[in-house]
Amino acid sequence: MQRTLLMLGLVLLLLPGLTLGQRRNQPSSILIKGGHVIDPKNNINEVMDVAIRDGKIENVAKQIEPAPDSKVIDARGMYVTPGLIDMHGHFFPNAGRGDPAPDVLTLRSGVTTAVDAGSSGWRTFPDFKREIIDESTTRVFAFLNIVGNGFSGNEQDTADMNAKLAADMALKHKDNIVGFKVAHYIRRDWIPIDGAIEAGELAGGLPVMVDFGSARPALSLEELLLEKFRPGDIYTHVFGGNAAVGSPVSPGGREAVVDQEGNVKPFAFKAQQRGVIFDVGFGGASFDINYAMQAMKHGFYPNTMGTDMNYHSFNGAMKNILNVMSTFLTLGMDLSSVIEGATWKPAQVINHEELGHLSKGAVADVALLSIREGDFGFWDREDYKIKGNQKLECQLTIREGRVVYDFNGISIPDPE
Amino acid sequence: MVRYLAILLSVLAGATSAVRAQVSASAKPYQIVIKGGHVIDPKNGINAVMDIAIAPALDMQPLAWGQALSPDQEGRIAMIAENIDPGLAVQVVDAKGLYVVPGLVDIHSHNFWGHDGERQMNGPRGLPPDGFTFRSGVTTVVDAGGSGWRTFPLFREQTIERSQTRVLAMLNIVGEGMRGSRYEQNITDMDPDSTAKVARTHDDLIVGIKLAHFSGHDWTPTDRALAAGRLADIPIMVDFGSAKPYLPLETLFLEKFRPGDIYTHCFGGNSSTSPDGRESIVDVTTNKVKLYVLEAQKRGVVFDVGFGGASFLFAQGTPAIAGGFYPNSISTDIHVESMNNAMKDMPNIMSLFMAMGMPLEAVIAASTWHPAQEINRSELGNLSVGAVADIALFRLVEGDFGFWARDGKIAGRQRLFTEMTLRGGHIVYNLNGRVDPINAKYISN
Repeated sequence: MQRTLLMLGLVLLLLPGLTLGQRRNQPSSILIKGGHVIDPKNNINEVMDVAIRDGKIENVAKQIEPAPDSKVIDARGMYVTPGLIDMHGHFFPNAGRGDPAPDVLTLRSGVTTAVDAGSSGWRTFPDFKREIIDESTTRVFAFLNIVGNGFSGNEQDTADMNAKLAADMALKHKDNIVGFKVAHYIRRDWIPIDGAIEAGELAGGLPVMVDFGSARPALSLEELLLEKFRPGDIYTHVFGGNAAVGSPVSPGGREAVVDQEGNVKPFAFKAQQRGVIFDVGFGGASFDINYAMQAMKHGFYPNTMGTDMNYHSFNGAMKNILNVMSTFLTLGMDLSSVIEGATWKPAQVINHEELGHLSKGAVADVALLSIREGDFGFWDREDYKIKGNQKLECQLTIREGRVVYDFNGISIPDPE
Repeated sequence: MVRYLAILLSVLAGATSAVRAQVSASAKPYQIVIKGGHVIDPKNGINAVMDIAIAPALDMQPLAWGQALSPDQEGRIAMIAENIDPGLAVQVVDAKGLYVVPGLVDIHSHNFWGHDGERQMNGPRGLPPDGFTFRSGVTTVVDAGGSGWRTFPLFREQTIERSQTRVLAMLNIVGEGMRGSRYEQNITDMDPDSTAKVARTHDDLIVGIKLAHFSGHDWTPTDRALAAGRLADIPIMVDFGSAKPYLPLETLFLEKFRPGDIYTHCFGGNSSTSPDGRESIVDVTTNKVKLYVLEAQKRGVVFDVGFGGASFLFAQGTPAIAGGFYPNSISTDIHVESMNNAMKDMPNIMSLFMAMGMPLEAVIAASTWHPAQEINRSELGNLSVGAVADIALFRLVEGDFGFWARDGKIAGRQRLFTEMTLRGGHIVYNLNGRVDPINAKYISN
């Protein structure tokens, strides 16, 4: 990199005719022309131009004339959306599992904001902040694991779950920490969940995200969703679990939101109505297409499109957020709702309403997506596969007004 | 990690339907048959629609995430023929309309990720390989100088042994490895004897010596890398840094290099008539590849792409390809910056070379069989019967595409998309689930 800069410097000195790599010399003004804007917060779902200046959205309107200093990007045939927000990923390689650093799988999928779901705890968060948050082009937030050592520690170790210390760290890093996470707990008690909710309260009302682990017999999902959870708390891996769990013959594990007949459990609807958030959290073994199909047939939709990006899900059925979103498109969810679940909705859930939309003055995090037609397949942990004919593809990603990913060079001037 | 897996397994066990039954005493001789794909296997001169059968490994258990494959876990190619009965296989891949090629071999990669180091040495800029290889059809990477003789053991433990991707290494001539300029400028830490000794000790993994980023009009670093290469009997790869005035490429290629030594970033350089920086291989006044470059390639000097963040110029690549000068190997120089910049990944730069006029078969050869030979791993990069079943399946999509570099952009009508990747006969990336059943019900031996 230092060498790269040196070389670039040399090129600059020696070859004034050469244009520089675009990331290093970008105009302060970009005009995205002719794209189909989907901005759920502002109820925009039509062809519009988007003007960006000094890192912010300057204007969204039917016809915007380019300013003299504008770089114009032809977005005809593409969708222009707020930069995607992945509610649930794991982006701390040094937590010991080999999870990806954020920039490498976010920007190329249109993701400009990534929320790390519990890789770090109060004790390891300073490392996470220094090594990852402060070093990434992607905006990175964290749900702090209720376990002090996060994924580097023992998630069964209730002695390392300290609500006070977790809340203190969250209060100290309000800009980065958006809630608390419980995951992978297998004992039949509520200690980690109670601890995380207590931390949430101590930190001024931050949400908790729960991966509901697996206890034998299972803990009651109804109790979690209707009694433990506050409105705004997040149930991730919503289409995971096991529909057989909770029945009299089931030994344990984790309940699903659907029963064995494919009906949505009434308490799930009730919870969603009272403001509990249901996140996809697709992951490596947490998504069952049939549960999703059954639930959506009965009108139960996920609120957010979290990926649970991690060191194995990225090579499994999940792959990236666009694949998750395309799966839901194929399952019959409309594009605007799918986009909302990856933009405005997660922004609200993490209490960052300045993000996830294209309002005038908002930070210019923007994704240009296209839909490729073809014969595609989407599959799940059960090897159950559905066929689809549409797949979302990322063409360009803008972070705070700078092009940070450009698949086909559409932001590069055409050759003369 | 083990603890995490144990918990994950227990979570899976709770979800009874997620438990994958293991079929025992299967009568089927093949683990996988890949049906109906267009096979390009440059080593064996195959460029036709063929089926491929893969024999199960001795130990065909599901792979553990974040763990290198043992030889017993590697399934091998059992047969390649016009028509293989799909009934003989546990899993059948529908490859109609796809290209089936050896798993790509990327000989210029940066994978020494970690905590306590800097830059490409045990630092956050290195990439844990598995997330970026398999989705690009790459099954073998060569870390190009991330580690040096002093830091290789940590690289081995931290990256090589924790990756399903086959990770090999070129040892940096700098003992500390690619730790940043104050280390890479330090000639006193360029020790051929220690470097060669570590290379010989780990000759299963170390395939070359790397020199990179040295800035200065001084042949000493090149000579030390060559000395280490001679002692260990392996090639060197040179990122030629910069100097004022530059060190002549003609001397490097015709006097310093042995046949087999590798010049990476071959389409980079100052691409001008300036005497400073780094010389380029195409003469910008004639737009022709310099004669000594052609002579060097003839005598066995290897020209490698190493696209990177700023190491490829259309001003160099376009006239070279148009004049019939092809790079011997296509490689990425992948790191956090280059993968979000013009380079992106192997399929992107392979498609870029096709858009410049290099034929598909030559592009595949430069990404499989050629690099395998360059690193003296001729067991890789081919689909011979008996070879480890590292295989990539690509879809060549027609459309309006663009490819860019720091000096411009070209249009292209075709782009390679990775459809599926197999490592040692295991499907490790599967974009559209074109296999039945999707997950292996493994043959038990």
